[in-house]
Amino acid sequence: MIAALVILPLLAALAIALAPRRAEQAAKWTGVLVAFACFAVAAASAGAPDESLPWLHRPFTAAFHVGLGSGIAYWIVLLLTLVTGCALIATRVPRMRGFVAQMLLLQGAMTGVFVARDLLLFALFWDLMLIPVFLVLIAAAVPAGPRERPESATAWRYLVYNVTGGLALLLATAAYGILRGSTDVIGDAHAAGSLPAVDAPWIFAGFALAFLIKTPVWPLHTWMPDTYGDLPSPMVALVSAVQSKAGLYGFIAIGLALFPAPMVAAAPLMLTLGVASLLYGALVALTQSDAKRAVAYSSLSHLGLILVAVFAFGRAGVSDSIAIGGAVVYIIAHGLFSAALFIVLGQVEEREETRSLDRLGGLGTRKPRLAGAFTLVALAALGLPGLAGFAGEILIVTGVYQAGYVWTAVIVLIPIVIASAYMLRLLQGMMNGPERHDLPQRPDLSFVEGLALAPLILAIVLLGVDPAPLARPPAGIDPFAVSVAAPALPDGRR
Amino acid sequence: MSAQLLNPYGSSDWSALLPVLVVSAGGLLVLIADLLLPKGARRSAALVLSLLALAGAAILAAQQWGHPFSAFGGAFVTGGFTIAFEEIVVAGSALSLLLAHRLGREDQAASAIALLLWGTAGAMLMAGAANLLMVFLGLELLSLALYCLCGLGARGTAREAALKYLILSSTASGFMLYGMALLFGATGSVSLAALLLPSASPALLSIGSGLFLVGLAFKLSLVPFHVWTPDVYEGAPLPITAFMSVVTKAGTLAVLARFAYGALSSHESATLLAPLWVLAALSMIVGNVGALAQTDIKRLLAYSGIAQLGYVVTALAGTTALGLRYAIFYLGAYTFMNLGAFAVAALLSREHEEGSRLSAYAGLGYRRPWLAAAMTFFLLGLAGLPPTAGFTAKVLILASSVGAGYAWLAGLLIVGTAISIYVYLKIVRAMYARTTGAPVQASAAEFLPWVGVAICAVATIVLGFYPLVPSDVIPLVK
Repeated sequence: MIAALVILPLLAALAIALAPRRAEQAAKWTGVLVAFACFAVAAASAGAPDESLPWLHRPFTAAFHVGLGSGIAYWIVLLLTLVTGCALIATRVPRMRGFVAQMLLLQGAMTGVFVARDLLLFALFWDLMLIPVFLVLIAAAVPAGPRERPESATAWRYLVYNVTGGLALLLATAAYGILRGSTDVIGDAHAAGSLPAVDAPWIFAGFALAFLIKTPVWPLHTWMPDTYGDLPSPMVALVSAVQSKAGLYGFIAIGLALFPAPMVAAAPLMLTLGVASLLYGALVALTQSDAKRAVAYSSLSHLGLILVAVFAFGRAGVSDSIAIGGAVVYIIAHGLFSAALFIVLGQVEEREETRSLDRLGGLGTRKPRLAGAFTLVALAALGLPGLAGFAGEILIVTGVYQAGYVWTAVIVLIPIVIASAYMLRLLQGMMNGPERHDLPQRPDLSFVEGLALAPLILAIVLLGVDPAPLARPPAGIDPFAVSVAAPALPDGRR
Repeated sequence: MSAQLLNPYGSSDWSALLPVLVVSAGGLLVLIADLLLPKGARRSAALVLSLLALAGAAILAAQQWGHPFSAFGGAFVTGGFTIAFEEIVVAGSALSLLLAHRLGREDQAASAIALLLWGTAGAMLMAGAANLLMVFLGLELLSLALYCLCGLGARGTAREAALKYLILSSTASGFMLYGMALLFGATGSVSLAALLLPSASPALLSIGSGLFLVGLAFKLSLVPFHVWTPDVYEGAPLPITAFMSVVTKAGTLAVLARFAYGALSSHESATLLAPLWVLAALSMIVGNVGALAQTDIKRLLAYSGIAQLGYVVTALAGTTALGLRYAIFYLGAYTFMNLGAFAVAALLSREHEEGSRLSAYAGLGYRRPWLAAAMTFFLLGLAGLPPTAGFTAKVLILASSVGAGYAWLAGLLIVGTAISIYVYLKIVRAMYARTTGAPVQASAAEFLPWVGVAICAVATIVLGFYPLVPSDVIPLVK
């Protein structure tokens, strides 16, 4: 059944791509159905046994090995299928059929990334998941007149960055396979730290580069604002909510589990990059007048916070760190509220034909439902207690403090304050204030549009009230609910 | 000894050569059918006969699996290695023939197809050749056929391409022949196996091997012996370009691998072959960089082919047994991915115009979605992206070259791949970007190239998930 989570969306994508040209609405609702069917299957498969088929025997063993467990992979797959379903409900683009097919292809590929228990399979899906985004970026690019150069610059930038990461990951995977004789190691407790100490840092570096680019983390983030700006909203919801988590998931599931010593060695660098992203993203978000780009930079900031959480090793290793539990909660929380934010922004853009804060304003007076949804989601994003964002942030800050990084914990608080500023600025700029009469007059959210947001908002509230199932150590720490050895700390230093 | 002299070759010698004989006889049959049949049926008859001959050859070759035999006094050796290359040659030839529905004028079709078959037979001889004379015989049979075929194109550049190919290729053959002569001088034998014996003059052996390898590198179009490739590929008719891009490479690679693995002692191979790995590294980079600026799909595939052969030779680095198996697997995967791309180009071509300009692909994703999807798939494969055979094949090569201690080649392979992804996805971009230009009218669907596209697509995906890496491919030399 776990394999079905990957195969079903891919087959559905193929079927929809080949469907007759007129079947636009049918394609959309088929996509919604497939996504929610996958959600149901995934929800029912908690702790299901792994499934495996042999693939390669030489030069190293590789298998089509998929597993869900009941830890981080399980929660992310639930998030992924939920967000895909909601984003597809909210989809209203020209050439719907092709777009829905790409969304399902992306869903299948990303599910593959999170359920793969074999490094080579992981690498396969890792590379596969950049293709639909690239194709959608190309199709979304507006011809720039007779000179055809600049139109798809975003697509190329996305591709160049992510392919670089993907190839580094591929080379690292091949080297890992050769050295250890098998890549069927994700979630295998015996595989931790089993590489020669000479090679492990280099191989880890290959993985880490891919993870940092995909997340993205400052200074490798420059592909991200344009990509988020140019992608249609439903896909950017999916990319921001889930694809950006692939790198963080990689650090937890592959980094912590297989490369404990290099992870500890890399911690100072990663903490620095994380804090830099956190501050830089928050400050730039304050200055953006394009709402979508503002949210993109806020994502950069939030993802930096999660990176800090992953690398805040405690004195006795990760296992007694609350931070990792907080990271898992915040991964899901950020997925939920960033998806909801981008979906609402898409709905605003559809209505008002702009997403510039200078032109928008006063939407709340005539469209209470739209404004209400945005307010709730924005409050979750700025970390209001009782909503999902807060649950993650408090756990992370507590965990980072407890691990002994007092100053990091203090610095981390600053962008959390700035988050209130930029989120309220967005809220004020778009929803509050006097009504703008130069904007097109369009109706409030329809029932179907509300349907796209309701599950996400419900999940945001639920997770805010009770984050315990996600944060529960060891399930939260340990990616697959099998005991992952705590990273061996050389001579007791942090 | 005297009995052998009186009746040197028995029936088992000839049966070892049977696949080659079937293909050659197929060429003769095509010519006879051309004389006897009415005008309208000639081209189809020639295509059917040649495909049947190739199918027969493929089956006969497969039946030799597991029974290695040294025929004609060690001149032609069958075995897993020979069969693997014969099958690739036959598959490449058959897939190229599927694109030959517009090859040449009506009255030239049959002779062109016959020449194609004889060229195939030459490449098959190279696959099994274990002495220098047989190598040269196969190579020249292949090359002579190609000299004629290159000039068939309707373009004005076709004759230029043919002449260029003739002159440069003969020069390479000259290098090779001179190398062979020196090798014969050093060992007193034309047999590859004799090179392993202690030589009277090691210097002569080294120089001879060097010249021989230069000739091979030219035929493989490794950098810096690649400059002829884009011009010849561009000028030659599309099915012939497709044929050259796979069959010539497969035949030459077989000779190279047999020479590198079977005819050199481990000490010699370390020193003599070191430059070859440098050529592979150069090819991966230069080929992909050269492809960046191309606007004609045939030139682009010519440069990409240079890089792809660089990947294949990379797999041989360190001459490990595993590396050879992956080189053959990559070559097989490349055959399908590359010929798939050529088949798409053939489907886009119309009367007097081959669909090879990159501008013919603009907006293809909206005009002919199936064709564009297939092309995207083949290009992803050539770029080494999943879910294709190209991905798996590239991982295998990466792993084996890291394992053989050539991590620097693996690193350069990654760099080359990164450049190539831009090259290939540029075509994808052209197909799926919104265009402002007027759409080009699609030609009527052609049956045979579509069969080619379908076969290549299925093979590309299946080989990705079930990598049929051949076992038991020791290159025997006697």
